[in-house]
Amino acid sequence: MINRIIRLGLIFIILLLLQVLFFNNIQFSGYVNPYVYIMFILLLPVEIPAWLLLILSFLTGAVMDLFSGTLGMHASATLVAGFVRPYVLRITSPRDGYEAGANPSMLVYGLKWFLIYASLIIFIHHLVLFYIEVFRFTDFFRTLLRVILSFVFSLSFIVLLEYIRKGK
Amino acid sequence: MRNLLNFLSKYNNLLVFILLQIIAIYLLSTANDYHNTQMVKGIRRLTIGIEKRISNARTYFQLREISRLMAVENSSLRTRLERLSGETEKPFFSVTDTVFNQQYTFTHAEVINNSVNRQKNFFTIDRGRRQGMLPDMAVTEGDHIAGIIVGCSDNYSVVMSLLNLDFRVSARLRSTGYFGSMTWEGRDPYHVVLSEIPQHVTFGVGDTVETTGYSTIFPEGIIIGTVSGFEKTGGDFYRIDVAISTDFRRLRHVTVVGNLMKEEQLELENQYQ
Repeated sequence: MINRIIRLGLIFIILLLLQVLFFNNIQFSGYVNPYVYIMFILLLPVEIPAWLLLILSFLTGAVMDLFSGTLGMHASATLVAGFVRPYVLRITSPRDGYEAGANPSMLVYGLKWFLIYASLIIFIHHLVLFYIEVFRFTDFFRTLLRVILSFVFSLSFIVLLEYIRKGK
Repeated sequence: MRNLLNFLSKYNNLLVFILLQIIAIYLLSTANDYHNTQMVKGIRRLTIGIEKRISNARTYFQLREISRLMAVENSSLRTRLERLSGETEKPFFSVTDTVFNQQYTFTHAEVINNSVNRQKNFFTIDRGRRQGMLPDMAVTEGDHIAGIIVGCSDNYSVVMSLLNLDFRVSARLRSTGYFGSMTWEGRDPYHVVLSEIPQHVTFGVGDTVETTGYSTIFPEGIIIGTVSGFEKTGGDFYRIDVAISTDFRRLRHVTVVGNLMKEEQLELENQYQ
């Protein structure tokens, strides 16, 4: 148990550093801003209590906000991601359910499952995040394009990171 | 209490979510100038919309008062117009005469009691002797005929409606100028009958019927209605159905028309009868 918490803490710090030092500096024509820190929410254990999940989501987002100077923005979006995660898990659950104490990772449930599970959450997170960022509906389709492009890149990087974790 | 606890335990995740989301939005609005401005803008737009609706509704309820004021203004303007018109036709006049060249006075009044479903209909207006009303003054609704005052108290007058079996007025077809006598036959509040129009006169459905001004009561050209049908009767006359253009069912603002030269005309006419 303690072991697990330490490992998640390590993952959190690594993702945070990656995001702040590397991904926040990717400005590809203003349309692509990958946010890989959401991976932390993806990797939390399946049977984590919903309230704890919500608080962790909020804190994750808040820490990201502190580093990017956008107080409340990431917190709000990540909170939504944390809120929908239990429902997404229920939708994507394998035929014989999740094993007790399992981590929802590609390692355990395979690439196809991980892609569906991660896509749903990342997309919802990005959707909320980018629309909160522009905070108006005048550039609706331009923002949607940013959501989709960034989503593709975030998902790719997260799957890549999962492969690195698997190889380790 | 138990219900409350049940509710809380059932929805506690949603509550945590909403609580944290409120915190996030609060942070968002206080720490980021851009988001703050956008929120204030949005709220302002919302409240402006509501305020506009409220003020619209308020104006709607004031319409009654507004229309009354406009009717009052209308009659005073028509009085002035009447004073001014005809000035050029008569080269000699006395300057001290306050009503020089003025034949008609117009006073605004409001209908306070009305009926349309009897055979002899009357309505009451809120002007009487003190406001200068006299029996035999004409009552119109704008340019449309309404009735004749038959009795006055100090502050009220009773008007014989056009919809009265005893009502008679001299009327003519605007297109040809032939005149006849107009009466109401008591069938419905929408039609009157114009008789004594000779059969050689040509006219059609839709022609305007108006007053002649021969009676000293109504001025010339007050509209009664339009021809809606006609038939030949025994003798050499038409019997013309006229659709009334005044809606007596919702008569409200009327104008009382007084003829300042009535006495003079009647006096002269009586000398030769």
